[in-house]
Amino acid sequence: LGRLALEQLRRGAAPRACEAAARKLNIGIDTIQHGVEGLVYLLTESSKLMASIYFYSIHVLGFSDELNKSLLQLYLDNRKEIRSILGELVPRLPSYHSLEWRLDVQLASRSLRQQIKPAVTMKLHLNQNEDQTAQVLQTDPATLLHLIQQLEQALGEMKMNHCRRIVRNMK
Amino acid sequence: QRFRFCGDLDCPDWVLAEISTLAKISSVKLKLICAQVLRDLLGEAIEYDKILKLTSDAKLESGDVKATIAVLGFILSSAAKHNVDSESLSSELQQLGLPKEHASGLCRSYEEKQSPLQDRFRACSLRMSQLGSVHWRVDYTLSSSELQEVNEPVVHLTFNVQDSEGEKMTAVPVTLSANKFRVLLAELKQAHSLMNTLL
Repeated sequence: LGRLALEQLRRGAAPRACEAAARKLNIGIDTIQHGVEGLVYLLTESSKLMASIYFYSIHVLGFSDELNKSLLQLYLDNRKEIRSILGELVPRLPSYHSLEWRLDVQLASRSLRQQIKPAVTMKLHLNQNEDQTAQVLQTDPATLLHLIQQLEQALGEMKMNHCRRIVRNMK
Repeated sequence: QRFRFCGDLDCPDWVLAEISTLAKISSVKLKLICAQVLRDLLGEAIEYDKILKLTSDAKLESGDVKATIAVLGFILSSAAKHNVDSESLSSELQQLGLPKEHASGLCRSYEEKQSPLQDRFRACSLRMSQLGSVHWRVDYTLSSSELQEVNEPVVHLTFNVQDSEGEKMTAVPVTLSANKFRVLLAELKQAHSLMNTLL
């Protein structure tokens, strides 16, 4: 049952595995499902809180001593993995994947010949929870230079004293 | 120090670091690995097992093998991107510390495939949407619910446009009267002659 709980955490529910376990232990499949879900909850809650008073808290549930010890073992063995899985479940903003760009010059249009109008076209590829979206943007070179200047200023903030102090304290 | 194959910028640190890994492989095997990396850049399937076999003599770990592929991919694609000829590439790589035989083997592979690489990169450049095909049909309207005798020719055009992701083909149907069609044709001919003056 402990194994099933871990698999569920890693990949989501696996009904066929539960069926196999139910047949082996001769219990109803619903009981197994609930048992597995209960174990998953127990493991995630305790990993969330890094429970060191774990032993005393599950004593309240009134299980036998042997069961307590095996649960504790299961928890301690897999704590790191559970924490890393929980860490990835946070909602994420779209993040940068890649940027395609292109420099064009408009030479003429239906209304006006003999022009020179440079333009930069960009396709920003973003990743959000395994979804890939693309945003098409177009700008003239002056705006692009301004954009670059702003971004470099933002990067420069990291080197200021205020940021440096905070980073030092975090480490 | 600025390098032409990096677009007249400094060479990235990771490339410098991996040059020493490249030197560990024999120059003959390096040329074969280059051929595989070029296949990948040209869009064909890369044969990773062959690369693993070729690098097994140099006793590289799996991380080093991937780094080798990455650095070769960078050097070859960057050189093609900035239109660097193979002698300049060879001398710049030797300045970075790559032994002479390795550099010349790499540049020979590069020279063979420089034009196909550049063609492929040109085809992969950013495009908004692309015209797939145009279908047309000329009808003659005899009569309609508004007017009994119409007797007008009409052109139906269908533009098949491929969207910027390159996945879906959308059909855009347009119907034009004879006069409108003449205006469209005249404007397009003007644009076409402008394009010809640039070629």
